[in-house]
Amino acid sequence: MAEFEELSERQLGDLSDEQLVDYLRRAREAGRHDAMKPAVAVLVYGYWDNLVNRARLKLRSDADAEDVAAEAVASAIVSAFDGKSVGEFRSWLHTILSRRIADWWEAKEQKLDKTRLPSEHQGDEEVWGREPSVDFEGEALFARQCVRRALEELEDPRHRRVIDLYVLGRNSAAEAAGLVGDGMTEANVHQISSRFQRRVRELLEGGDTSD
Amino acid sequence: MTDVERLLTEYKEAHQGGGDADPRPYLARVSGVDRELLAGLIDAYLEEAPRRPFAAAAFASSRAAPVAEDVERSLAGAGGMWPALLPRLRARARLRRSELVAQLAARLGAQGQQDKVGLYYHQMEQGLLPESGVSETVLEALGKIVDSTASALRKAGQMPAPGPPRTDEGAVFARATYGEPAAAAPADESELAARERRAEEWDEVDRLFQGGA
Repeated sequence: MAEFEELSERQLGDLSDEQLVDYLRRAREAGRHDAMKPAVAVLVYGYWDNLVNRARLKLRSDADAEDVAAEAVASAIVSAFDGKSVGEFRSWLHTILSRRIADWWEAKEQKLDKTRLPSEHQGDEEVWGREPSVDFEGEALFARQCVRRALEELEDPRHRRVIDLYVLGRNSAAEAAGLVGDGMTEANVHQISSRFQRRVRELLEGGDTSD
Repeated sequence: MTDVERLLTEYKEAHQGGGDADPRPYLARVSGVDRELLAGLIDAYLEEAPRRPFAAAAFASSRAAPVAEDVERSLAGAGGMWPALLPRLRARARLRRSELVAQLAARLGAQGQQDKVGLYYHQMEQGLLPESGVSETVLEALGKIVDSTASALRKAGQMPAPGPPRTDEGAVFARATYGEPAAAAPADESELAARERRAEEWDEVDRLFQGGA
């Protein structure tokens, strides 16, 4: 039997995602299901709100967002036990969430193909379901593509770091400038950020992110 | 600072302050391309956001708690992802467990043994029933009820493969299945013989849920 040393909740909180998954593997191998519980809790709780809120940007109801988030987090953790190399856990988790959201819309469209729409059947929405809000779906999914494209277009790695730290990260402009260093100023950070957002806006207005 | 920049900053502050941080009220404050831009930036921000530090009290009252429990059952049990998947499929189909069981029993031609079908289905949701024993007939019937397929349900039940038997204090309770221990291998010849005797006493419902094929 594999040697296994149980860790406290505080110690588990200090582990990286990948270390937590490894800990779970070892606990499972040792048959220590009681020790798995807190480790699963740390992982699920740690990402739950982020997953639900990302899903809220793309789906219509809280129930749908929570349903898809639950499926994504379960799939991501379980697949790490299936002999797959998942790389960075957080990235894998968000990739699965994006896939599940796409699956959700695909399933919705297939269902709608088979049924009449409420507009053809007024006053009976409970039976037939609501029509899809295509604009709402497209809004966040397309916007995310535009953000990705604009990020890919950044040639200077320092500019990419500014966007990661300041626009998509948790740092102030001054902190981002300090972290990037190499002569980067707070004013530069604001300029790079504005230029980036202008580019995303252009892509959104252009309606096409293909090369 | 543009409206989008201001709202993104406000959103990030709310997110870092803890709590729910629902992005939709922020989106509602802009329209058109600004709204799309804000949605894309919040989405990218959330994707990069680090894991939230664990807080036991907040976890206990959050919607994450039952999800974590299902995941743990999936990792610990004998039915792969069924504990995480089956309750959700049932909720999507808007069926109570009793309603699902009644439909399942009817599709299996076992209306007179609804209680037994219910116990087996309960074991499936709890991860106590080995996937290999559950027949295609059951999975096909279940798939039709919850709008899935037998192959998708089978695949979910196989992932991940059952781990070694548990060695902690909960091991005794994990064996509380309908007919026999969940995933444990027979300990010796007498147990194997006992299993064979029990298999001879199986009825059609036992065979459907434990006999495989």
